[in-house]
Parts: sequence; structure tokens; C-alpha cells
Amino acid sequence: MSEAEVLQPSSTLDLGWMDRQGEWGIRAVPGKQGLSLADIQIGSYGEPEERSDNQTGRPRGAGARPNSYRIGGYAVMSKSEIWLDNASFLYEEALQRQWSSATDVPWHTIKPLPDDIEEAECQLATFFTEVEFVAGDVPARWIASTTPDFFEPRQCLLAQVMDESRHMDVFRKRALANGGGLMQTSGGTAGVVGSIDLARDFTEMSSRLHISGEGAVLTMFRMGELMAYNEAEKAMYRLCAQDEARHVAFGVMHMRYMSETAPQRREEIQCYLDEAERQILAGSQNPAGTQTDSSEALAILLGGGKDKYDEGVRKLIAIRKRQVQEYIKRVRSTGFGDRFDNGRSQLIRTFDDHAAA
Amino acid sequence: MTDKTDDKSPPQPPPPQTAPPQTAPPQPAPPNLKWMGKTHQWGTRVKPGKHGLRLGDLNVGIYGEVPPVWTDQTRAPRGAVSRRGVPPLGYAIRDKVDLWADSAADMYEEAIQRRWAPAVDVPWSTVKPLPDDVERSICQVCTELSQYANADVESVTYWQSQMAYGYHEIKQFLATVSFDGARHMEVFRKRALCNGGGLGLEGPGEVNRMILESRGGWTEAVLYLFIVRGLFTQTMYRYLHRYAHNDAERTIFAHCLEDKARHLTYAIDHLRYAVNHQDDQNLILQQLCFIGERVLVRELKDVVLREALTIVFGNGISEAEEGGRIFRRMMSDYITRYLATLKWLGVERRTLFPEELSAYLKAS
Amino acid sequence: MAVFPSVQWFDAVRGVFNADESYQGGGGGACNALMGLKIAGQSFLVTFEGAECSAAVKVQDNDLAAADYILEMSYADWKEMIQNIATNGHADLHHTLNTLDLGRPEGLSHSMHGDQYREDLFFRYNQTMQYFFDASARVATEFME
Repeated sequence: MSEAEVLQPSSTLDLGWMDRQGEWGIRAVPGKQGLSLADIQIGSYGEPEERSDNQTGRPRGAGARPNSYRIGGYAVMSKSEIWLDNASFLYEEALQRQWSSATDVPWHTIKPLPDDIEEAECQLATFFTEVEFVAGDVPARWIASTTPDFFEPRQCLLAQVMDESRHMDVFRKRALANGGGLMQTSGGTAGVVGSIDLARDFTEMSSRLHISGEGAVLTMFRMGELMAYNEAEKAMYRLCAQDEARHVAFGVMHMRYMSETAPQRREEIQCYLDEAERQILAGSQNPAGTQTDSSEALAILLGGGKDKYDEGVRKLIAIRKRQVQEYIKRVRSTGFGDRFDNGRSQLIRTFDDHAAA
Repeated sequence: MTDKTDDKSPPQPPPPQTAPPQTAPPQPAPPNLKWMGKTHQWGTRVKPGKHGLRLGDLNVGIYGEVPPVWTDQTRAPRGAVSRRGVPPLGYAIRDKVDLWADSAADMYEEAIQRRWAPAVDVPWSTVKPLPDDVERSICQVCTELSQYANADVESVTYWQSQMAYGYHEIKQFLATVSFDGARHMEVFRKRALCNGGGLGLEGPGEVNRMILESRGGWTEAVLYLFIVRGLFTQTMYRYLHRYAHNDAERTIFAHCLEDKARHLTYAIDHLRYAVNHQDDQNLILQQLCFIGERVLVRELKDVVLREALTIVFGNGISEAEEGGRIFRRMMSDYITRYLATLKWLGVERRTLFPEELSAYLKAS
Repeated sequence: MAVFPSVQWFDAVRGVFNADESYQGGGGGACNALMGLKIAGQSFLVTFEGAECSAAVKVQDNDLAAADYILEMSYADWKEMIQNIATNGHADLHHTLNTLDLGRPEGLSHSMHGDQYREDLFFRYNQTMQYFFDASARVATEFME
């Protein structure tokens, strides 16, 4: 029968581990904005190597044990697969700009609306409740399969999962707060939304999710703020748009990093952007494209009622054009803007054709 | 520190476009509007209460009907009208008994209300130089706690993405758990790197592996993650708070304690639900405990964490005897709480409980 | 009483904004941006660093190239917005920054550098920018003739 090991006085402590720790003498100093992740990127604890060999889940820079259990099998082991230069900054920003859908949205300002407006608002809310957590589930899978040596981008993705959870929640609340209810789902698991699930590479996933998908949703949130009928909706959409803009920023900075460090993947990434733009051209963002339930709802809200649908569509198209312009500028910002100058992308021509009229 | 990539020159403005041919603007197509009127329950008006409009408040009428099995394989929100013909997404966890806890919605809202940011909410300036042995020990403890948090994050995010949408309260709560894990990973790393120290030696990792290898489903992962290891972590936080060397450490461990308490509330609530709604679940948990406790015992044989905690509690190698007594008291508290929790859940542990663990109860 | 626009006016708003902790919650918080403003032929740069609006300076037009984004409207539109905020304690449904940006054909926010990543800071920190201008409700404001 073995007993618990009872420690004897100090002379019998092993203490050999004290000689096997990581780099010593580190003194990170808090800056004006507290002690941030960037502040602790010092010495060997700074940026990771290009390739990780960490299969035990140890913190980056910790002393390694030869007999530690391997827990990894991580799919993402190369920095260029996931890195972005300002991940730690985006994470700290996300932490400090959290909000509560329960208490930071002035729900008491919601008053009864005309039936068609309420239905449109609830249809839109149903759509957002459905699709927002795609952007929660999918990053979650990638977090679990990324080595902790690249914890900075992982932290950003963890913040995104939290943000999307809050979005899923706030739109459910809106749908049920004003005499309405949830309506029909979009079935948006096909197309871009579905292909986010199917991505087998992080950059592939990020281009679809962050650049294309979240960029489009950011515009929808901004439209929501524009057409809000009360302070609650104003706050709800504005706060969601902030979060979404941060997710877009992640995607832009990752793609910029890829542009600068992985030239061998340029053509591959251009193909992902081809695909995203095909979706833009085929879908409701194209003035000539088919309108979905949610874009019809947007048009009703923008116009101010079912009887003002045409006016709403005109406003919607004008805003969509801005969305496309912003997308183009974002892609230019990533370093992949040559596609707009060499004729590869049809976006400028398609949207300018309609704008010129 | 700014977000600006200042040394990168901004992109050049695009070249001027030639004027496209003039075309008439498309007239808006008439709306379809078939979506109007499609709802299972209209007229729902949930009002904010004293604490705002909370997730649990939405469970009225059909929106609150949580079925025992969620058959929809899409992302259809509970209560929405499903669309026919949508390809399934293959969510693996679709039975309520495999994830449910009544407290999840409340814990979700509580997590958001009690959020904290290590960068600014910890008084880092109160960390002053410590004797080398103490600093090395606290850094060692922080390294292992950061590694535990990593296992938490990897486990929770893996399982969360497999849960069906009908149980959104659970998915949302687990989003807060993984976010807590991110904070813990971050804050312990920061503590290790802010006071002239560095990261310690990585942990043995066997319990991490056990958590991440939970093949039996989320309930098994909950048992290992939150009960077997989570209670151990929480007990450590309590003692580290008690024996903290400065306000920064007290703040860190106080916040982590709160976070962990929420995780444990969910875990106990879920396991209770599972035991009450699934035949022989208590026997399965008993068997899992048998396995998990032995893994824990093997990991506890490793001297590193034990010695580091001993030195922290005793405030130096020279006081290791006193530190050792405090360590044994900590272990006794952990095991007492662990056994009491399992007893409350209806999981028998009087037989075949490892002697190595029960010895802590006798020694205290 | 400070004239809008002027460094004095922006400093007064900064004072209110920095003193009110509630602006750091509810979707506010750490903000790092250089906001440019073009108002009635005058140009200003307002700096946000973390939890603080740390500076407001009057600059030459071409100095706005340093801004992450520039907010520009006619003086009449600026005046209407500030007066609306003063009347209601905060911008009403038709006078929030995002509404003004999307509701006007020429928009409100743009930049001289064309980098959408930096222009997107207007969206990322929109609540903070809204809080900043809403803080002007507590500043006695005089307008130019």
C-alpha cells in the first residue's frame, strides 16, 4: 500500500527543474495600455520560428521535457499558414471592447413597429442568428488544430468565437423582443457560407470567412444601423459592426502576411478570391443578381415599408456598391490588388457599368 | 504599441479606369416576399428584466422547448422555420443528455458581465522582485497553469463545434469558457515574464492528453476537464490566492477562481442531468473516474509542480517543510471536494479509490 | 463657450470623454486611431490612444494624409449633428456617424492614403467615435456665423 509522498525538509527537494526552465531574466514592462501581449514578446519568447515542433502543447518558450506526452497532431504547424503581424494587438482590442447584449443594448427603446417592418426585422434577425455562428464553429475547429506556438492568432480566433456567440444571441433577442418571432432559415449552408465549413487550409478558410463573408456581413450590420427604428437596433448593429470589422482586419492582415512571405501561394490565393467574387457577382450583391429573403427584408427596412420596396432596393444597391468598393480596397491593402488591374477580376467593370447609368 | 505597420508603404491608388459603356440601370425585380408570414410562433414579446434581456429569458413558448434529440442537421435556430432540402452539416452531438445543463444560459450572461482584461485589470506595477527560488517557483506554476489552460481551450473548441444548434445555450456558454481559457493562458504567461523570470519546464502532460483523448464524448471530457482536473486547478487557485506575493497575483487568482467556478457549475449541472436522464450513466462515470484518477496519480508523482507549489506556499526553499504541509492541506481540500462532488452526483467512489490520493485525507 | 470647430472645442470634448468611465464599457474600450476632421475649411487631427483621447490639433489640409480616416461634411451638416446631440444628449437615429456615412451619397469617412485596412478603423472603433461626439452634449458650443 503506497502512501502519499511526504516531503522532507529542503535537503531532499529535487529542484533539478530549476535548471531546465526557459530563458531567464525577462522583465516585461507594462506600457500605457497595460501589460499587453506585445509587451511580453521579448527575447526567445518573442516571435515564433517559422516551423513549430511543439507536439505537447507547451507554452512557447517553456523548457521542453523529452518524456512529456504528445497531445498534438496539430494540422497547422507553419507560421505562414496562420500568422499576421498584429494579432496580439487585435486580441487585446477584442478583450477590451467586449459588450453585453443583455445590458448594453437599450431594449426598452423598442416600440411596436408596423407589421411589415417587424417581419422584415425578424427575418433579418433569423438570418443573422443562423449564420453568425458559422464564424464561431469554424474558427473553433482551427483553434483546436493549431499549435500553441502560434497562440497570438489563436487568441484572436478565440475572441472571434466569443464575438460570434454574442451576435447569435443578440439577434435572437431582437427577434423575440417586439411581438415578432423567428422566421424561416436561409439554408445558407450552401455557397460561400457552406464552403467556409469545407475549407481544408487556414488561408482558404480565412479568405472566405474574413475577407468575403465577414466583409459582406459588416456592410449588412452597417445597413442595419442606418435603417434602425430605435436606439436598441442602432446600438445592436453598431456594436456588431465593430466586432465584424475586427474580424475583417484579421483576414486582411493574414492575407497581407501571406502576400509578403508566401509568394509561391499567390496564385492559389487569387483562386480563392476568384471564387469569392463569383459569389458576389452571382448573388444578391450584384444589382442584377437574385435577391434573397434577407436582402428583400433589407430593402423593406431601408425603404421604410413593403410599399416602398423599390426605393429600398435602390438604397440597397447603392450601399452594396460601396461594399464592393471597400472589398476592392481591402484586397488591394492585402497586396493582391493586381487582380483588379490585369483584368482578372470582373468586379470593377460589373459595378461601374451600373454606376455609370 | 500601435496597430500600424508603419514601415510598409501604403498601397498605390488604382490606375484610372476607362469609362465603361453607358447602360440603363436595372429596374428592381419585384419582390418574392414568400418569406413573409413564415413563422412557428409570432407575437413573442420578451421584456428586459432587472438584469437586462438575458438569454434564458427568451425561452418562452416554442422557443423554450428543448427537445431530447435535435434532429435538424443544419444551423437552423431553435424555433425557426426550417428550409427543406438543406444539406446536413453532420453535427455529432445531437442528444440533449450529452451536453445539457439548465444553468448554461445564466452562466453565459454571468461570464459576459464578469469579463476582465489581464492587460489593464491586473495591477502589474505591484509585482516587485522576489527571491530567486520563489520567482522560479511561481514561474513554474504559471507555466503549468498556462499549459492546463491550453488543454482547456483545445478540448472545448473541439467539442463545441460538434454540438447541434438546437442547444445554442451550451454552445454560447462554451464560447465563454474557451475565451476564459485564452485569458488564463495569457495572464499566466504575462506573470511569468514580468518579474525577471521566464517560463518554466513544461508539464508531464498525461492528464492533458487524457482530456483531449476523451473518445466517449463530451460528457467524458467534462468529467476529466472540469471535475478531475478542474477541481484541482480551482483548489490551486484558491491556495495561490491565499499565498499570493502581491496584489497582481491576488487579482489574477481571484478572477481565475471566478471563471473556474462558472465552469464547474456547468460541469456539475451537466453531469447531474446526464446521470438523471441516462441509465447507468453514474456507472460509466464511475469507471471513467477509476481510469482518470490513476492518470492523475501518475502525473502527481512528478516532483516539479509539487516542489514549486511547496516553495511558493512556504515562501522559499528554506521553509519547504511548512510549504509541504500547506501543499498537503491543499491536496486534502481538493480530494475532499472531489469526492463530495461525485457523491452528490451519485457516482460511487468508496471502492477502488487510489491510495495515493486517499493518503492525503489521512495525512491532513 | 467654445466655437465649433476649434482646438478649444475639441479639448473640451476630450475632457468630458476622458473623464467618463462609462465610455470605456458597452463596446467602447481600447482605441488606437488618428481621426482626421475637415470642417468649414479647417483641418484637425484627433488622437485616440488606448482609453484616452490624448490630443487634438489643428493642421494643414495636407497633414490629413496621416489620418487613418477623415470625417468630412459641410459645415451645415456638422452643425446639425452637433445641435442634434446637444438637444438629445446623444445623436438621435438620423445623426449617428454611421448613418451620416451611409445615408449621404458622398459618405462621411474617407482617407487620403486609400488603405482600406486603416479606413476600417472607423468601423472598428465606431462606438468610441460615437461616444466622443456624444460627449459634446456636455460642452457649451458656439457656432461660426
